[in-house]
Amino acid sequence: MPLIERRDQDFLLHEVFSVSEFSKHEKFADFNKKTCDMIITEARNLAIKEILPTNKLADKENGHPEAVKLENGQVKVPPSFHKPYKLFCDGQWLAMCDDPEFGGQGMPHLLAMAAGEYFTSANCSFMMYPGLTHGCGNILATFGTEKQKQLYVKNIFTGKWGGTMCLTEAVAGSDVGALETVAIDQGDGTYKIKGNKIFISGGDSDLVENMVHPVLARIEGAPAGTKGISLFLVPKYRVNDDGSMGEFNDVETVGIEEKMGIHGNATCTLAFGSKDNCIGELIGEPNKGMKYMFLMMNEARQGVAMQGLGFATASYCNAIQYAKERIQGPNLMKAVLEGDLTGVPIIQHPDVRRMLMSMKAYVEGCRFLVYYLNSCFDKATVTDSDDEKTKWEGLIEILTPIAKSYCTDKAVEVASTGIQVYGGYGFIEEYPQAQHYRDAKITAIYEGTNGIQAMDLLGRKLGMRKGKPIMDLMGEVNATVAKAREAGLEKIADSLQAALNKLGEVAMTLGAAAMSEKALDAFASATPFLEVAGDLVMAWAWAERAAAAKKAIEGAKKKDVPFYEGQIATAKYFYEQLLPTAVGKMDSVKNLTGAIMEIPEEAFVG
Amino acid sequence: MEILVCVKRVPDTAENEIELNSAGNDIERDDLVYSVNEWDNYAVEEAIQIVDKVGGTVTVVTVGDEDADEVLRREMAMGAQNGILLNDEAFEDSDAMGIATLLKAAAEKGKYDLIMTGAQADAGYAAVGGMLAAMMDLPYASLVNMVEVGDGKLTVGREIEGGNQEINEIELPCVLSIQTGINEPRYVGIKGIRQVSGIEIPEFDAAGLGVDPATVGAAGAKTKRVDYFIPETGEGAEMLTGSTEEIIAKLIDIMKANGGLK
Repeated sequence: MPLIERRDQDFLLHEVFSVSEFSKHEKFADFNKKTCDMIITEARNLAIKEILPTNKLADKENGHPEAVKLENGQVKVPPSFHKPYKLFCDGQWLAMCDDPEFGGQGMPHLLAMAAGEYFTSANCSFMMYPGLTHGCGNILATFGTEKQKQLYVKNIFTGKWGGTMCLTEAVAGSDVGALETVAIDQGDGTYKIKGNKIFISGGDSDLVENMVHPVLARIEGAPAGTKGISLFLVPKYRVNDDGSMGEFNDVETVGIEEKMGIHGNATCTLAFGSKDNCIGELIGEPNKGMKYMFLMMNEARQGVAMQGLGFATASYCNAIQYAKERIQGPNLMKAVLEGDLTGVPIIQHPDVRRMLMSMKAYVEGCRFLVYYLNSCFDKATVTDSDDEKTKWEGLIEILTPIAKSYCTDKAVEVASTGIQVYGGYGFIEEYPQAQHYRDAKITAIYEGTNGIQAMDLLGRKLGMRKGKPIMDLMGEVNATVAKAREAGLEKIADSLQAALNKLGEVAMTLGAAAMSEKALDAFASATPFLEVAGDLVMAWAWAERAAAAKKAIEGAKKKDVPFYEGQIATAKYFYEQLLPTAVGKMDSVKNLTGAIMEIPEEAFVG
Repeated sequence: MEILVCVKRVPDTAENEIELNSAGNDIERDDLVYSVNEWDNYAVEEAIQIVDKVGGTVTVVTVGDEDADEVLRREMAMGAQNGILLNDEAFEDSDAMGIATLLKAAAEKGKYDLIMTGAQADAGYAAVGGMLAAMMDLPYASLVNMVEVGDGKLTVGREIEGGNQEINEIELPCVLSIQTGINEPRYVGIKGIRQVSGIEIPEFDAAGLGVDPATVGAAGAKTKRVDYFIPETGEGAEMLTGSTEEIIAKLIDIMKANGGLK
C-alpha cells in the first residue's frame, strides 16, 4: 500500500523547500536532513502498520461492528483505535511543533505537516481525536494562565487528556454570534456554564481519562453578537489544584450523529450544566472569546486543508495501483494497427491516463500549497526581522482560506475521479475508494464552510493591512516566474505572469465592488473568486515544481529520471489544459454578474 | 548485561520492486529504499527488553558504508545506547565468513555477555551467527524465539521443524540468532530520533579492527554468487477434488502433515 508518494514528499521537503535549512536556526538545530528523513520514515511506518488498518474497520458503511457507540453517556471509539492511539502518543506525534516544556517536540511545521499527511491519509477519523486535542492544548498554551498551563497543557499534549472545540449550537452554525450558551459569574473566579453544543467532533472518547472543552459562551449581560462571546475552559471531570481529577463536571454526551462519512469519529451533542453543576474558568479576558477561538479555528482550517490533501492522495495512490493492475480492453493503437486485441492495464487507455494526470496535478499542487503554508510558520520563526515576520504571517492569513477551501473542494473532485478510475468497483464498498469520497465531503463543510472561507478571503483577507498580504503573495509568485524563466521554461513563465496579472485585475474589481453598492454581487462571486485564486496557486506550484525538476534532472540517478520527467509533464498538462480554463473563469468572475442577486427569491420554486 | 546486536541495512521489500541486474548475478541495488533487516530489529528489541530488566547496555554494530549509519541511528533511536560502524572499501562483497570475521574483531574490542544476530538477512545464508559463535568459540543457539535471563546462563526457546518448540539452557557469554515473532518491536518516536540526531557514531576500518584486508571482502570471499534468478512458476500446485467436506478433510490432513496444525 503506497498511501503517499514518498518521492514527491522528499522532493518538496528537500529540493523545493529545503527543510533542513531550518536546522541552522538554534530552535530547530536537531532537525538536520538525516533526522528529517528518519521522522518521515517512522511516521510512515506507524501510519501504514498501525493506523491504516483501522480505517475501514471503523467505517460503518462497510457493515463492521466497530462503529462508534454511546453507552450510558460514555462514547466508545472503535476498539481498534486504542492501540494506535497509545503508540501515537508514546511516539510524541501529538504535539510535534510545540514547546518541549509542555511535552512538545519543537519540530518545524513543514516537517510536521509531511509526517501528519501520513497519519491523516491513513485514517482521518482517528486523527481527529489527537488533532482537536492539540488545538485545545494550543489555545491554553497561548492564552491560558500559568496555572491553567501547568494543570492542563502537558496532559493534553501527551494525549493523556482529550480536547475539543465547542462552538456550534442548534441556532448558531455559521453565525456563531447567535449562540445561547450562558456563563454565570460565581464571584469566585469561576462561572456556571449552561447550554448545549452540537457537532462536537471527538466530543467524548474512552481513549482518554478526561476531556477538556474550550467552550464559547456569553457571560450574562454581555453584548449581543460575537462581541459578547467569551471562551471558557470546561473539563469533563474537574481538575484539583494538585492536578488530580475531581468530581464529574456535569458535561454530558447526550447523542452522537449518524453521518455520511468519517464514521470512526464521534460527532457529539454535549449538554453543559443540565443539572446546574457545570463549572468553567475563563480563558483570557471576557468578551474576547472569538479572538482566542480564531487561533484554534485557523489551526483547524489548516488541518482540514491537510485532511483534504490526505483523502485526495490516498484515493490517487489507490487509483494508480488499480490502473496498473486492472487488465481491460486492448491497447487502442495496437488493436487498430496490428489487430492485437490482448487486454492491457487500463493505465494505457488515454482517458484513464487523463484522469490519473488530473488527480496528480491537483494532489501534488495541493501538497505544494499545504507545505508552503506551513513553511511560512517556520520562516516567521527563524527570521530576526519584524518586517519579514509580518510578511510570513500575512501569507499564512491569506493562504488559510484558499488552502482550506481549494484543497477540500479538490479532494472531493479527486476522490470522485478516484472512484471513476475503478469503474463499477469504485462504487462497491468492498473497495477503498467509496469511503474516501464519503469521508472527504465533510472537509468542504466543517471549520467554516467553503462559502465562509470565500467571504473571509474577499471581505477580510484581501484588504487586510492595505492589501499587503495579497501583494506579498503576488511577489512570491513573481519570484517563481523568474525562476521558471531561468530554468528555460519560457512558456510557463509567460503564462504564469499573464494569469497572475489577470488575477490581480479580478481582485481589484471584486475588492472595489465589495466596498460599493454592488457588495452583494461581489460576495455572490466570492466562491468562484477563491477558486481562481486557488487555480493560480496551482499554476505557481507547477511552475516551481517544473523549475526544480528541470534543474535536478541533469545528472539525476536513473530511478529518479521518470519522477522529474513526470513533474515537467504534469506542469505542461496543467499549463496546456487546466490553466486556460482557469484564466477563462477569471474573466467570468470579473463580469461580476448581477443575476444572482437580481433573481427574485420567489423564482426559486421548490 | 552488555549486549552486542549485529544489524544490517537491507533493501526494504515493502518499498521496492526488485529487479535483476544486467549481469544476472544480483538484484539491481541502485536507488533502492533500504531499512533495517527485519530479524535484526527483533534482536534489538529483545536486547533492549533484557537490559530494561537486568541493566546493562545495548550496542548495535553493522558492516557497511556511510549510508549504513542510518540503520544504526534508527536502532539507537529505538533504545540501543551505542553504535559502531565497520566501514572500509576492503569490506565490500564479504561472504558470510568475512562478515563474521569483522564482527568478531568488533566484538573483541568490547566485553559482551551476549551477542545477537537476526536469524537471517537478505543474502540468505543465515550463516553469520553460527560462524561468529564458532570463531569466538562461544555457545550458540539459532532461531531463538524466547529468552529468559538466569544466573550466568540463559533459558532460550527455539523454533524447530514441524512448528515444535524446544527449550535450552545456554551459558553466557553466548551468541543467539533471533527469530521474528519473539517480541513486538517498538516504534521509534520523535524524542528518540532527536536524541540521536547529533551523535557521532564511531567507525572502524580494517586497520582499526586489526583485520587483514585480504581475509575479508571480495578478496577473502570463498563463496561467490554466480547466478541469481527468479524460478519459473512450475506445476507445484496440487488441486484438491471432491465435495467441500472431502476437500476440507484433505486440506486438514495436509496442514497437519506439514506442521500447520497440531
